[in-house]
Amino acid sequence: MTATLVRLAFAGIRSRALASVLTILLSSAAAATIVLALEVGATARDPWQRTFTAANGAHVLANVPTQADARAIAALPGVAERDEPVPIAVARVARRGGTERLLLAGLPARINVPVRTSGSALREDGVVLERSFAEALGLAVGTPLRLAGAGGPIELPILGTAISPSQPRFPRSNTGLAWVRRATLERIEPDHSRWHWTQAIRLANAAAAPAFAARAAASLPAGTASVATWEDQREEALRDAQPIGIILTTYTILLLVVVFAVVAILVGARASAQHREIGLLKAVGLTPRQVSAVFALESAALGLISVVIGFAIGALLAPRLAAPSAETLLGPPTTAASPWHLLLAGIPVLLVLIGSARSSTRRATRYSALQAIQAGTAAPGPRSRLARAVARAPLLLALALGLKDLLARRHRALRLAVAIGVTGAAIVVALSMNATLDAQATGAVSDVPDELPVLVYTLDAVLLLITATTLVAIALLSVRERVRELGVLKAIGLTPGQIASSLVGAHAAVALLGALASIPLGIGLYVTVYAIAGGSGADRVIAPWWWLALVPVATVLIVIAATSLPARLATRIPTADALRYE
Amino acid sequence: MTPVLEARSLAKTYDTGGAKVMALRGVDLAIARGEFVAIMGPSGCGKSTLLNLLAGLDRPTAGEVRLDGERIDRLSETDLARLRRRHIGFVFQFFNLMPTLSAVENVELPLLLVGRRRRDARRSANELLRELGIGDKHAAAPVQLSGGQQQRVALARALANTPDIVLGDEPTGNLDSAASREVLGLLRGARDRGQTVLLATHDARVAAAADRVITLRDGLVSDETKLQAARPVALAFERFERT
Repeated sequence: MTATLVRLAFAGIRSRALASVLTILLSSAAAATIVLALEVGATARDPWQRTFTAANGAHVLANVPTQADARAIAALPGVAERDEPVPIAVARVARRGGTERLLLAGLPARINVPVRTSGSALREDGVVLERSFAEALGLAVGTPLRLAGAGGPIELPILGTAISPSQPRFPRSNTGLAWVRRATLERIEPDHSRWHWTQAIRLANAAAAPAFAARAAASLPAGTASVATWEDQREEALRDAQPIGIILTTYTILLLVVVFAVVAILVGARASAQHREIGLLKAVGLTPRQVSAVFALESAALGLISVVIGFAIGALLAPRLAAPSAETLLGPPTTAASPWHLLLAGIPVLLVLIGSARSSTRRATRYSALQAIQAGTAAPGPRSRLARAVARAPLLLALALGLKDLLARRHRALRLAVAIGVTGAAIVVALSMNATLDAQATGAVSDVPDELPVLVYTLDAVLLLITATTLVAIALLSVRERVRELGVLKAIGLTPGQIASSLVGAHAAVALLGALASIPLGIGLYVTVYAIAGGSGADRVIAPWWWLALVPVATVLIVIAATSLPARLATRIPTADALRYE
Repeated sequence: MTPVLEARSLAKTYDTGGAKVMALRGVDLAIARGEFVAIMGPSGCGKSTLLNLLAGLDRPTAGEVRLDGERIDRLSETDLARLRRRHIGFVFQFFNLMPTLSAVENVELPLLLVGRRRRDARRSANELLRELGIGDKHAAAPVQLSGGQQQRVALARALANTPDIVLGDEPTGNLDSAASREVLGLLRGARDRGQTVLLATHDARVAAAADRVITLRDGLVSDETKLQAARPVALAFERFERT
């Protein structure tokens, strides 16, 4: 019997190929979104750890005024490995529109050594720049760096770039960093009393770093030293990824809302199409439980395919999306691709698919076999208040007919409006972010990573793609479910143009409502995200109204484009064939 | 006198997965204005195909269809739709009411299509439903109506614009005797008002209510019988129910 049920399930998948493909497509997007969120979190953390290992990072890094203070800290108990104190002096580097403060550090010998990313190693009369500083100021390897120190102006060739686990990305409230030989440092700042010193310590037990740091700070006069543990360094480095993390989390939630709304529409449509089939299966002797098992199997098979595809897409895209946060750190991020992520992505997708299939089959199995067979597709529910309002509104006949049909399946209409509203809100966020960046003073070095707008636009494009695909899918399903009704309308006297405009117009009207709601939703979302990211309200700019007005206009145009093909298909079905359609 | 509806050498071949099925093989017929004609024949003889071609719902493979002497088989889909609105009403075996519209909304649809004002169309649709004895069901959804009531609504929809021709494809095929009798009576009423009625049926009782019976067999007209002067529908039914 099990083999028969499996065969029936696969026959069902084949017979509803279009709905099956769309279910796989959109469920894959749901799974990929979850995997993406999990993988990006993991991959963004991984590169810092590797940088720390490559640099032989310091468990405790003390910044003190004198060499003697540094040596005192290095002499505290619990130290497993210590380096010579490293001197640091301040210089200024010329850049367009002024000068930039730069910390010049001596080269550590063993602990917290800079990890080279380009050019050559440090030698006399040269400088190695921290990579994000070099990138922000457009300083290339091989070009000269003009420095203004206490010892007068000096020009040094840029030998290479490097990164350090203790140095967050420039400029995020952070002075630039470069490494020079001690002799060079003395030329730039001959007065040793103006030097600061860093003492890098490695402990036998990394977990003891906070206690050691507290002891080190206590051993010096209050306010003269700053001591950072390896956890402080990591937190500071990863803080750079915070806006990206917030954006990713926000978009993950938005994508999940859209994708699950869409999957629910598809599953509902499948159940409606299966209504008659359920009657037939019961008629040939399947029990309600076996009927449920067939459809659960069908959904599970589609879900499993979707989860595997979604996991592959998510794992493939994660390193690219994590790259901005890993940019300050060493090399490209690795993909964690944990089996747990597959499980965490798979469970909600499978639960939604199987759960929706079970609830629809439970509804459908309540009908007698004969009722289900005779009724064909499930009849729409009682007319909603909105549909009654549409019936009274003075609308064009074709639009009124299309809207009455769309609103007869009110859950579907609502989910479609939600998907469009959420996508529109994400676009309002992107437009406002763009407006905020545009409002910044020309030439100012921005704290926002360059990759953030690109990431936001990419995610917006993904959302738009999913929503547009959904529109095509829903319009196609709508046509397929209504083939016979469309035939009747043609028989009564609706022209092909009226049939097409009823389908396109109804979807555009529902989409317009969603798009209008998306504007206040998007503004609220942007204000919230901006506040969470720690931005000041004074710098925040909301996109101007004429940009925002583009959202409903573009939405209607996209809907017209997306539903035109299904509408055209609807008009091309010969009337007599449509009237015979079951 | 020019027939209101005419078929000349009408042929239709279906291509069903490579196999050609000839549903009509050259049918000639002429229907006079105000005539009530029944097309009979066994299942698969081409009755529905003929009706679909005459209503412009399908395209013939060969031959001509003329309405009031004008060829309609070459018209565009849009022109055919406009023609059906005013000149042809169609009643189906399975009613084919729009499930998302109420009874009165189904009936007013053809009226709105020809440009009647909403209030005016609603009044006429309600009047029509009252005439057909289901005025109290005007707000009901099709699923809330019995088969007979649904067919009355479908008939009201087909008659709403007082079309020249009313075509019915097994309009009583899904109804019990009482409901069939009522529907036939309504179609006879339309004929008495000067409208032309053409029904496809395999039910001899239904055909007995017609003025003329055309029998199809294997896609060809095999027989044509003119019946006596119109009998009341109930009599026609009783006669056949006795036999």
